[in-house]
Amino acid sequence: MRFASRSFLSLSVAFLIATPALPSGFMIPEQGAKASAMSGAFTAIADDPSAVFYNPAGLAQQRRLSGIAGATFITFDNSFRGDPNDELTSGATGRYDNHLFIVPNAYAVVPIGENMTFGIGTFAAFGLRTDWADPWIGRFISRDVNLKTASVEPALAWQTSDGRFAVGAGVEYRLARVTLERNNGVLSPFTGRIVDVANIYLDGDWAGGVAWNAGVLLEPNDRFRFGLSYRSDMDIDIDGEAVFTQIPTGNPQLDAIVAAGLPMDQRISATIPFPAHLALGLGYGGAAWDIDFDITHTTWSRFQTLVVEFENPNPPPLVAPQNWDDTMSFRIGGSRRVTEEWDVRLGALFDQNPQPTEVVGPLLPDSDRLGASFGLGYYSGPWLADAGLLFLEFLERSTNGRSPEFNGTYRTHATLYFVNFGVRF
Amino acid sequence: MSGIHFTRIAALLTALVLTVPLFAARGDADFTRFVALGDSYGAGVVNASLNERHQIHSWPAIIARQAGAPLFVQPLVTYPGIGPELELVDVLSFPPVIRPATGTVTIDVSYPAPYNNLSIPGAAVQHMTTLTGAQQPTNTPTAFAQFILRGLGTPVQQAIALHPTFIAVWIGGNDLLGAVLSGTPAALTPVETFRTAYNAMLDQLVAGAPSAGMVVGNLPTTPAALPLLTTVPPVIINPATREPLLIGGNPVFLVADLGGGNIGQLPPGSVVLLTAAGKVAQGFGIPPALATQPPFNQLPGAGQPLSDADVLTPDEQVQIIARVAEYNQIIQQAAQQRDIPVADINALFNRFAAGFHVGPFEFGPEYITGGIFSFDGVHLTDLGYMFFANEYIRTINRAYDESIPVAGLWQYFANNEPGTTASGDGTRWTLSDEAAASILRFATPLPKRRLRGATH
Repeated sequence: MRFASRSFLSLSVAFLIATPALPSGFMIPEQGAKASAMSGAFTAIADDPSAVFYNPAGLAQQRRLSGIAGATFITFDNSFRGDPNDELTSGATGRYDNHLFIVPNAYAVVPIGENMTFGIGTFAAFGLRTDWADPWIGRFISRDVNLKTASVEPALAWQTSDGRFAVGAGVEYRLARVTLERNNGVLSPFTGRIVDVANIYLDGDWAGGVAWNAGVLLEPNDRFRFGLSYRSDMDIDIDGEAVFTQIPTGNPQLDAIVAAGLPMDQRISATIPFPAHLALGLGYGGAAWDIDFDITHTTWSRFQTLVVEFENPNPPPLVAPQNWDDTMSFRIGGSRRVTEEWDVRLGALFDQNPQPTEVVGPLLPDSDRLGASFGLGYYSGPWLADAGLLFLEFLERSTNGRSPEFNGTYRTHATLYFVNFGVRF
Repeated sequence: MSGIHFTRIAALLTALVLTVPLFAARGDADFTRFVALGDSYGAGVVNASLNERHQIHSWPAIIARQAGAPLFVQPLVTYPGIGPELELVDVLSFPPVIRPATGTVTIDVSYPAPYNNLSIPGAAVQHMTTLTGAQQPTNTPTAFAQFILRGLGTPVQQAIALHPTFIAVWIGGNDLLGAVLSGTPAALTPVETFRTAYNAMLDQLVAGAPSAGMVVGNLPTTPAALPLLTTVPPVIINPATREPLLIGGNPVFLVADLGGGNIGQLPPGSVVLLTAAGKVAQGFGIPPALATQPPFNQLPGAGQPLSDADVLTPDEQVQIIARVAEYNQIIQQAAQQRDIPVADINALFNRFAAGFHVGPFEFGPEYITGGIFSFDGVHLTDLGYMFFANEYIRTINRAYDESIPVAGLWQYFANNEPGTTASGDGTRWTLSDEAAASILRFATPLPKRRLRGATH
C-alpha cells in the first residue's frame, strides 16, 4: 500500500515554509520631543541637542553647554480582517496585544572654542513589535516579532564665524537584536484538524555595527535656511539561538512523529540590513517663528531577501524574499514663540511604506502613513521642557489577494507621546 | 449642455453594463429559505459514516453558514453514526489500522417540516424525483430515505414545499460510483436515463419554485483524485521491503478476473480498489507460479485471482471517464437552458489530484495524510467539504454578482480559544449528559439493523 505521507514528510521542511521575514518600515524617526512635535521637519532647524540625530551641522549654532533627556511613548491600535475570498483567512480577525513602547533618548552639547561644538547622543532610531494577541490565526506565519536597537553617537560640528554655514559629522555605534516567534501546525490525520505541534523561537543576541552621519546647514540670510543630513546604511550580523519547543497534541503517535522531525535547538545567524537615510530641509522663519519643510529618502531597497542560516542541516536555511522599495517622506513643521516662556509647535507628515503588496503580512503589515503632530515648549531660566504628541494613521492596507499565503486587510493607528527635559548653561 | 447630457448618459450606461452579471442567472441569491439536494456528499458523510460531527460540516451546511441562511435544518444522527465512523487507530503500523467506532445511534425524527438538507446517501439522479421514504428499505438510498424523507414526498417535492428562495444541487456521483465500486462499467446509469432524470428534476424544481435562485455542479472525471483508486498498487509488493517486487527489473502485476471469468495479469494502468486492500494483504492476486515460493506461500490467498469487482482495467476506466464526460455535457446543457450556473466540481477534483497550498498548509489526494479524502477513500473530510462548498460559493458569487465570503481554513484550527495555542486538541467533543438526554427524549428509535447494514 502506498501511504505517501505528504504532511509527515514535509513536516521538517514545513518548519521553513511560511518563512519569518524581517520587518521593514522599522524606522522610528521620533528621537526628540521638539523635532517630533514638528513631525520631524527639523533638518533645516536642528537647534536643540537632538541635532546629533537630525542634522549634526545644527550643533554648531548651539553655543551653550546643554543637555536634554526624554522618551517617546508609542501605543498601537490595529486590526486585521481576513479576505472574504481567501480560503485560509476568510472571516478571521486579529489585533496586536496592548503594549506601551518606550523609546528613550538623551543628548548633550559641549561648545569647544569659537566655532566648534561637540555633541553626543543616545537614541533608538529603529525598532518594531508585531505581537499578535492570542488566539491569532496567523500564528503559523508570525506570532511575535521584536526588533530593538540602541545607538550612541558622538558628533562634531563647525561653523563659519558669521554663523551662515555649518557642517557636522558623527559616528554611530548601533546595537540591535531581534526575536521572531511562530507556531508550526500540521494536519492531524487522527482528527482532520490543523493542530499546533511546535513553537519556534528565533532569539537573536545583541550585536553591533557602525554607521556614520553628516550634515550641512546653510543660512544665506535671516529668513531662509537649508539643511542636508545623511545617515549611512549598515548591516548588523546577528547570531542567536533557535529554540524548537514541541506542543503536545494529546495523540501519542502524532506527538512521536512530530518529535522525530523536530529540529534540535541550535545556533542561527542572520544579517539585518539597515537603510541609508537622506533628509533635505528648507526652513523659513522670523524672530519668533520657524517653518521647516523636509523631504527624505530611505534606501529600504537594501532589504531584498532575508536569510537565516541554521547551524545544522535540519532545518535548511530560511530564505524569504522581501523586495522592498526605497521610500520618501514629506514633513512640514512649524514652531512659534508665543510668550517669553512658551513655544507652540505643529506638524504634518506623509511617509511612504517600502512593502510591495505581495509581502504585506503578519510579520509587518506596513502601509503609507499620514501624521499630525502638536507640541509645547517651555523655557525658564536654564531649564527647558518639550512635550507633544503625534497621531499616525496607517492607511488601510489590503493584500488584494496577492499574498501567496495570507490575505486580508490591515488597519493601524499609532499615537506617539514625547517629552524631553533639558538644561542649558 | 448637450455635451454634459451625453457624458451623464454614457456614465449611466457604463454603470449599467458594469453591474450586470456576466451570467444571466435565474432568481436571486437570497438565502432566506435555502434548500440543498444531493447524495452522501451533500449529507456530509465522512469516514463511511453519517453523523452529526460531520453533518455540521456538510457542504450545504457550510454554504448556509457563509451565506447567513437563518434556518438550515439537517437530519442529524448521533455519533458514531450510520455506518459507524471509521477512525484511525494506528498510523505507524503497515498498513495503518482504521477501525469503526462503536456505540449506540439515535436519530430525532420529530422535526415536523421537510429538512433543508435533502441529501440522501446513495441517491442517484433519478432518486431526486422518485424516493419518498415510504418505500421498503431495500438498498442504501431507500434506507436513508426512511428518516430523511419520512414519507413526506420526494426530495424535489419537499424542497418545493419549503418555498425555497435558493436551491443548491449536487447529484450524479452515485450514477458513476456504482460502476467504480463494482469494477464494471455495466453499472453506469445509461446516458438517456441520466438525461431524462436530470431534466425532470430541474423541470420540477423550476416549475415548483419559479423565482428561486439555483446552482448545480458537474461531476469529477479524475480517477486519480480518489484514494479509493490510488492507494493499493496493482503490482506485487514484497512484504519485507514494502517496495514493488521486481523480476527482471520489472514489477509483477496482480492476477484478477479481467471480466467474464477471463483470468489474467492486470494490464499496466489498472487500478486495485481500496476495498480490496484486505484481500491483497492476504495474497489474493499473486500468480500461482509465485504462490508456492516464500514469502508468498505464507499467505492464505496466494494463487487465487482478485475478483472483477476488485479491479478496474484501463479499458474500464476509459469507459467510465467517457460516460462521466457525457453526464457533464447533459448537466451543462440542462443548466444552461434554465439559466442555472454550474459549479465546476470536475476542476475542483483536478485541483485535489494535483495538490495545492492554503497558506502554509499543503493538501493532496493521498489516503490518510492528504487531508481532503476521508478514511473510506471516497467521501471528503470536513476540510474537503469546505473546499467543495467554497467552489459552490465562488460560482454563486460570479453568477449572481454576490460577495458571500468563502469558508476559511482557520475555523478548522484545533486551538483557536484564548490560551489554548500552547497545547491541547480541541476537536474531540462529546455530548453533555443533558444534551444527550434531550435528544433521547425526542428520538424515535429506527429499525437499526436495516440502517446499520446500509453502505454508501
